[in-house]
Amino acid sequence: MGSVRAEFLKLKRSLSWAVVVLLPLMAVITGAANTVVSGGRLEDGWHTLWLRVVIFYGLFPLAIGVAALASLVWRVEHHGGNWNALMGRHVSSLHVVIGKVAVLAVLAAAMQTVLVVGVVVVGKLVFALPGVLPAPYFLVSVVIVLACLPVAALQSGLSMLMRSFAAPVAVALLGAIGGVVLLMTRLEVLAVVVPYGLLGRATQLGTGMFVDSGTVTTGAVAAVVVAALSLTAVVVAGTAAILDRLDIR
Amino acid sequence: MIGRAVANEFAKMRRLRVVPVVVAMVAGVVALSCFAFTTPGFLDSVGDPSGQPWQWLLGSMSLAVPLTSPILLAVLASRQVDIEHQANGWLFSQTSGLPPGYVCRVKFVATGAVVVAATLAQSGLVFALGTLVGITVAFPAGQWLGYTASIVVVNLVLFALHLLLSARIGNQLVGLGVGVLGVFVALTSTGMPTWLARCFPPWGYYALAMPVDAREGGMVWLAPAHLSVLALGVAGGVLFMLITRLFDRQEA
Repeated sequence: MGSVRAEFLKLKRSLSWAVVVLLPLMAVITGAANTVVSGGRLEDGWHTLWLRVVIFYGLFPLAIGVAALASLVWRVEHHGGNWNALMGRHVSSLHVVIGKVAVLAVLAAAMQTVLVVGVVVVGKLVFALPGVLPAPYFLVSVVIVLACLPVAALQSGLSMLMRSFAAPVAVALLGAIGGVVLLMTRLEVLAVVVPYGLLGRATQLGTGMFVDSGTVTTGAVAAVVVAALSLTAVVVAGTAAILDRLDIR
Repeated sequence: MIGRAVANEFAKMRRLRVVPVVVAMVAGVVALSCFAFTTPGFLDSVGDPSGQPWQWLLGSMSLAVPLTSPILLAVLASRQVDIEHQANGWLFSQTSGLPPGYVCRVKFVATGAVVVAATLAQSGLVFALGTLVGITVAFPAGQWLGYTASIVVVNLVLFALHLLLSARIGNQLVGLGVGVLGVFVALTSTGMPTWLARCFPPWGYYALAMPVDAREGGMVWLAPAHLSVLALGVAGGVLFMLITRLFDRQEA
């Protein structure tokens, strides 16, 4: 628990809030702006609004946002003599890696909360939609946060190995493009074992886009959740093993 | 002196692994552009003018470019400038007679050349793959080359903007964040009227350069605003020179 608290303290003066707030808000604003500018209507109410906001957001920007946050979380360790201090720590490598991923998980959850609140506000105030966002999308939001975990763990590992802030983000973009290609070519099984593809798949739940059936089924949700948790465990264990073998600079 | 300074920037690029970033930029655009090959009926219509195979490829490329370029250009600029922040390179260069603004201009010349080469390569590769899958319909050379030239200009202006941002603000999250937000602006601009897209330079200009668009009846040719893109290039160049001259007057 101490490792997690320490990670939050390190984030205090960073600009992580900017990614957490601006990225999902931009997705909501552009989704709404596209609808307004094209003069189109939300034929299927909340469903159409959700689809216009979340599909593109899940294909590229979300993975890149998580990657930027991972770079931010590790940035402090690469500054000054902090790396050597990290190498002389009292806690295990696994604790350090879990601490970083836990912080990223909280930030990912905050991003998703901003997105959902943004969709509800825009739906009510701009498009005057009746009722509130249907319940399945809240479940999908939880699944999206879980699907962020393997990407967060992988990007955390890359940011640990790369001193550059930008390089892991470039890897995330390439990974996201790979995920998009897998989903577009309907290779679902392969897509869900690649963290970036899994994230894209999770954001498509209930939308009927690419490989999705259009309804949120227990099977689809379970497949994404199991894949997300398994991938996270594997990547965290791998990252901790690598960190164990790293030395002072 | 500028020749040696540019050569020095190329030497830095070797250790900064610029090549993988550029390869990612080219591969990303080519992969997303060539996704058109997998759409039903595409490969059957490679010899049929009514199937508009080149238009589909050009349309895919004009969506792939604004999807990937803003972020990778931000990454390229960040990589090239971040080393100066980390290793106190600004001060070192200034004591060697190269003020910060001059270093920025040198970086623009060196890395800008790589950006131009990558942009030409992605356009050329999409054309080559189109030919390879057997498209025999007349190649719309004018539209293709016009689009490529416009994208070169927009990419260079965007790269210059990111170079200045990365040089001015040490926290590279800002430059990358602007790159990610730029993708949203670039894609939203594709659905905007021309006058509105002009209000979001330089990202909105990706949409102004688009030569084709998908409509209900298939792909239709558009009238790309090449003059607007040219004006962006001139304005961007003048602003870049002015701002880097200001950098020259500041202490590193």
